[in-house]
Amino acid sequence: MIARMRMLKSVTRWLLLLMCGFTMLCLAGCSGHVVGLLNPKGIIAHEERKLFFDTLALMLIVVLPVIVMSFTFVYHYQVSHRVKEYKPNWGHSLFLESLWWGIPCVIIVILAVLTWKKTYELDPFKKITGTDQAPMLIQVIALPWKWLFIYPQQDIATINYLMIPVGRQVEYRITTDNVPMSAFFIPQLGSQIYTMAGMRSRLHLLANQPGDYEGMNTQYNGAGFSDMHFMVHVVEPDKLQQWFTQMKKSPNRLTDAAYHKLLNPAIGVKPQFFSGVTTGLFESVIATYMNSLGTVHPRNNEGQFYLRQMNKE
Amino acid sequence: MQSDVIAVNEHHSDNDTTDVFGFWLYIMTDCILFACLFATFIVLNLPGAPGPDLKNYLNLSDVLIETFLLLFSNFTFCLAVLNLYQDKFAKVQAWLAISFLLGASFVFIEVSEFIHLANEGFRWDLSGKASSFFTLVGTHGLHVSCGLLWILLMIMQLFLLKDTNAIKRRMTYLGLFWNFLDIVWIFVFTIVYLVGAI
Amino acid sequence: MLEHLLFGNLTLEAIPLHSPIIVGAGLFMVLVALAVVVLITIYGQWSYIWNEWITSVDHKKIGIMYLILSGVMLLRGFSDAILMRSQQAIAAGNNLGYLPPEHYDQIFSAHGVIMIFFVAMPMMFALLNIAVPLQIGARDVAYPYLNSLSFWLTFVGAMLCNASLVIGDFAKTGWLAYPPLAELYYSPGVGVDYFIWSLQIAGVGTLLAGINFIATIIKMRCKGMTLMRMPIFVWSALCAMILVALAFPVLTVTLALLFLDRMFGMHFFTDFAGGNIMMYINLIWVWGHPEVYILILPAFGVFSEVVATFSQKVLFGYVTMVWAIAIITFLSFVVWLHHFFTMGAGADVNAFFGVATMIIAIPTGVKVFNWLFTMYQGRIILATPMLWVTAFFTTFAIGGMTGVMMAVPPVDFQVHNSLFLVAHFHNVIIGGVLFGYFAGIIYWFPKAFGFRLDETWGKWAFAFWVLGFYVAFMPLYVLGLNGFMRRVNHYSDTMYQPYFIVAAIGAGLILIGIFLQIGQLIVSIKNRHALRDRTGDPWHGRTLEWSVSSPAPLYNFAVLPTVDSRDPFWAYKETHLAEGHVHPKDLHFQPIHLPKNTAAGFIIAMFAGITGFALIWHMWIPGVIGFLGVILTLIAKTFSTDTDYYLDAETVRRTELAHLKEAI
Repeated sequence: MIARMRMLKSVTRWLLLLMCGFTMLCLAGCSGHVVGLLNPKGIIAHEERKLFFDTLALMLIVVLPVIVMSFTFVYHYQVSHRVKEYKPNWGHSLFLESLWWGIPCVIIVILAVLTWKKTYELDPFKKITGTDQAPMLIQVIALPWKWLFIYPQQDIATINYLMIPVGRQVEYRITTDNVPMSAFFIPQLGSQIYTMAGMRSRLHLLANQPGDYEGMNTQYNGAGFSDMHFMVHVVEPDKLQQWFTQMKKSPNRLTDAAYHKLLNPAIGVKPQFFSGVTTGLFESVIATYMNSLGTVHPRNNEGQFYLRQMNKE
Repeated sequence: MQSDVIAVNEHHSDNDTTDVFGFWLYIMTDCILFACLFATFIVLNLPGAPGPDLKNYLNLSDVLIETFLLLFSNFTFCLAVLNLYQDKFAKVQAWLAISFLLGASFVFIEVSEFIHLANEGFRWDLSGKASSFFTLVGTHGLHVSCGLLWILLMIMQLFLLKDTNAIKRRMTYLGLFWNFLDIVWIFVFTIVYLVGAI
Repeated sequence: MLEHLLFGNLTLEAIPLHSPIIVGAGLFMVLVALAVVVLITIYGQWSYIWNEWITSVDHKKIGIMYLILSGVMLLRGFSDAILMRSQQAIAAGNNLGYLPPEHYDQIFSAHGVIMIFFVAMPMMFALLNIAVPLQIGARDVAYPYLNSLSFWLTFVGAMLCNASLVIGDFAKTGWLAYPPLAELYYSPGVGVDYFIWSLQIAGVGTLLAGINFIATIIKMRCKGMTLMRMPIFVWSALCAMILVALAFPVLTVTLALLFLDRMFGMHFFTDFAGGNIMMYINLIWVWGHPEVYILILPAFGVFSEVVATFSQKVLFGYVTMVWAIAIITFLSFVVWLHHFFTMGAGADVNAFFGVATMIIAIPTGVKVFNWLFTMYQGRIILATPMLWVTAFFTTFAIGGMTGVMMAVPPVDFQVHNSLFLVAHFHNVIIGGVLFGYFAGIIYWFPKAFGFRLDETWGKWAFAFWVLGFYVAFMPLYVLGLNGFMRRVNHYSDTMYQPYFIVAAIGAGLILIGIFLQIGQLIVSIKNRHALRDRTGDPWHGRTLEWSVSSPAPLYNFAVLPTVDSRDPFWAYKETHLAEGHVHPKDLHFQPIHLPKNTAAGFIIAMFAGITGFALIWHMWIPGVIGFLGVILTLIAKTFSTDTDYYLDAETVRRTELAHLKEAI
C-alpha cells in the first residue's frame, strides 16, 4: 500500500518534470524559426497573440486552483492518513457554492466583454483602421493544390508566390475553383478564412515587418492538401514596384487556355509568374459556379483528369 | 393468488402509459427531422438561388384537393377510433378502409404531380431549389405511405389478433402518427406552396 | 443485365491488393473473425450464444455486448492512431513517409469515425445498460426488444465500417465528410457511401436507444424515487438521452441528404447548381456539438458516483449538480457555430456563439468544484476508479481551458484546424470521456460479471495511459501554435520533427496501457474465484445496484424496492446496521413477469446491413431483398403474441437464497 503511494508520488514527479521539459522545448522554439501565433509580424496576428495570452491568464485563475486541489485533497484525505475530520453527510454550503458559481461568472463576464469587443475589431471582413492608405487588392483562387494570386490593379498573377508591401493594408478576395472548400492562412500576419466555390471570402491583413513568411491551406481538401503551401515576401513599397515592373516582362500571360491548364490537379507546384490576366477572371470563376444548373459539374472536363490522377496513386 | 392477478394488470396498464410516452418521443424526433428539411428548403430557396422557381409549374388546385383528402382521412380515422372504443370492429375496419382510400388518393395525386414536374423540366437534380422541394414533400409523402401500410396492417390485425388491448394501443399510435402527418402537411403547403406561389 | 442488378459496381478489384499494409490489416481482421467462429464451433457453443446472447433482450447482457464491441473497435481505432503518429514522426523534409495520401486520408477519417461512433458511443451505452435500470430499481428498460435492436444496428454499422477495409475503401474526407469533398465529383468512389451507411444504420440504433432510456428513466423508477432522489448518473443519462433524441434526427437527415446528392444527383450540398455547402456544415455541427455532450455527460455521471462512493461521503451539492447538468444540456444546443468561426459568418454571429460557448464553462466548473469538495473531509480509497478521477481533474481542466480559449473567435482564427485543436479535443475526450468510462467500467465490472478486476494491473494500465496521453498530446499544442495543421501527411520543416517523434512515443505508451488493460482482463478472468464479489457490494456503495447479487439476477430485484431518500442503499445500510440476519421464512416471493428473447432485433439489423452494403455498391436486387427483409421482419414481429412469460416464485426464491448464503 505504502509502496504504491510512493509509486504514485514518483509518477506525479516524473509527470511534472516532463511538463517542465516540454515548456522548455516550447520556449526553445521561440528564438528562431517560429512560424505561427507566437511570432507575429502583422497587426492582426499581434492582437491575436495578446488575446491568446490574456485568455490563458484568465482561465488559469480557475484551472490552477483546481489542479492543486485535486492533488492535495486526494492525497491528504486518503483513508490511510487517518485524518480526524470526516463529515460523511456534509454536502451543502451556500458560501462555497456562491464562490464557485460567482467567481467563474465574473471571469466569464470579463472574457465575454473582451471577446465581444475583439471579435468586432478583428473581423476579417472589416478594413483595418488606423491607416490612411487605400488597401491593396489581391484576388486569390484556390486551385487543385496550388494558390493563384491575381493582382487586378497591376494586371499580373502568380502561382504560390505572394509579394506584398510592408505597412500597407492588403484586402484579399478569395474563392476556389475545381477543388473542395479550402482555407487561406498566413499565420504570422493574421486570421485564416474558409474559401468556397461560387462565393467570395474577404480578409484584411497588414504586415508590419519585412521578411519571408509561410502561407498555407488549413482545410483538408484532398490528396495534395499537405503541399498547398506558398511563400509570402513582405518588402518595402519601392521593392514591390520594382517587382511589378519585372513581372510585366514575363512572357507568360494568364489566358483562358493557361487558366484551364491550371485547373488540372497537380501537387507541389513551383511558383509561376504571369504578366497579364484575362479580364474579369475572378468574377467569371465565381459566376461559373453560381449560375450553373443540372447534373454536370462545370469543371467536369478537368475533373476527368482529377479522377485519373487519384487512381494513379 | 389474487395479488398476482392484480400485479399483472398493474403491470400492463403501466406498460401502456410507458408505451404511449415512447411513441410521443418518437413523434418529437420526427418533428426535428421535418424541421431540418424545412430549414434546408428555406435556405436553398433564398433569393438569388439559381434555377427556375416552383411557381412556374405549380397547380394550386391540386394542392387544395390533396389537403382535403388528407384532412378528411384524418376525420374518418377518428371515426374508426370512436368505433374501436365501442368494440364495433367491423365498423372500425370500414372506416379504416375509407381512410386508406383517401390517403392513397393523396399519394397518387402527389406522385402524378412529381412526374408532371419532372417531365416539364423541374427535376430533382436540376437545382438546389428543386432538390429541396422533392425531398421535403416526398419525405412527407413517404411517411403517409408508411401510414397507409400501417392502416392495412391494422385492418388485418383486427381480423387475426385476439388481444384487443394491443390493437387499441396500436390504433392510438397510428392516430398520433396520422394526425402528426396532417399537421406537417399544413406547414408544407404553407411554406412550400403558398409562399412559393405568391 | 442480371449480373449488374445482382453485383452492381462490386468487382474483384474492390479488394485492395495493391497496399501491403491494408492487405495485412484486412487479413488479420478476417483471420481473427474466422478464429472466433471456429472456436465457437469446436466448443459447440452456437446454441448457447444464440439463446443467451444474440437473442437476449436483457439489458445486462446487451450492456456487456456493447462493451465487447467498443473494446474490439478501440483496437482498430487505435491502430489507426499508431499508423498516423508513426507516419508523421517519419515524414519530415524530403521523406514522404510510408503512407501515401490515398491511404493516410482514409486512416484519419476512419480513426475519427470509429472512435466516436463505435468506441465512445457503445461504451456509453454499455454503462447505461448495465447501471441505469438497477439504479432506478427497475427490472429492465422500457422497451427490451428495441434495446436489442439498437445494439445490433450499432454492431452492423461497425461491421460495415470494417468491411470497407477489405472491400473497397473508406471515405477520404475526415470524420465528418464535409462537402463538396464528400460529393460525387470530388469523391467518386465508395468510401463516402460506406461512411453514410455505417453511420446512418448505427444512428438509427442510437436514436431508438435514446427514446428507450428516456422512457425508462421517466416512467420506470421504483416507488419513492422522485426525480430529485435519482442517482446523479441517472440524471446525466437522462439529459444525454434527451440530447440524443433531439440531435440524432439531424444527423439522419444530413446523411440522407448527402446520400440523395450522391445517388440521385441532387443539389443539397454540391458546389454548383444551387447547393449550399454551409448548410451541411451547420446541420452536421447542430448534431455534432450535442454529440460531444452526449458523450461527456454520462462520464460526469460516473465521476459523481465514483467520487461519492470512494470518498465514503455524500455527493456535494446534489441540487446544483442537477441544475448544472440541465444548463449544460440546454446550452449545448446554442453553441454549434464555434466549430466553424472561420467560415465567415460575420462578427455579430461569431461573437454571440463565442460568448455562448464560454458560458458552458460555468456549470462545468461548478461540477468540478462539487466533486473536489465531495472529497474534502471524506475518507478516500484510492482504488483504480478513483485514480482515473484524479487524472481527469487535471486533464479535463487543461482541455476545457484550451476550449474556452478557442471560443474567442480571433484566437480561433489562428488555431482552427491546427494541431492545437486536435490536442484540445483529444484532451477533453480522452481526459473526460475515456477516463470517465474506464472508471465506470472498473466500478461496475463486478456487478456485470461477478468478480472484480485486478487492481495492480489496473493501476499500471492507468499510469501508462495517463503518461502516454500527456507525452502524445502536449507536443501537439506546441506544434499547433507553430503553424502545423491537422490531417497533414508530410511536412517540410524538419526542425519540428522531434515533437512528432515524442508524440509517437506517447502513442506507444498508450499502446502499452491498452496491452496492460487486456492483461488485466485476462488475469482477472483467470483469478475470478479469488476476485469474486460475494456480497454484491464490493465498494461499500450508496445506490440500489449494490443491493443485489453480483452478477445481478435475471429479474434484477426479487421485490421492487421502495426508497425514501437519495443514496437509498447507503441509507438502508445505516439504518439496518444493527439488524442481524435475514430470516428465510420471512421472504415472500411472487412470480415475475419477464420478456422473452427474440431474434427480431438481430435479424432486422442483418437485413439493414445487407441493404446498406447493397446501396453502397449499387446492387439493386440485394438492396431490395434487404429492405423488404427489414420491413417484413418488423411487421411479422407485431403479429407475434408469445412475447413474455412468468418466472415462477420458486426459482426466484432459490436464486435469492443462494445469494444470501454466499454473502453471509
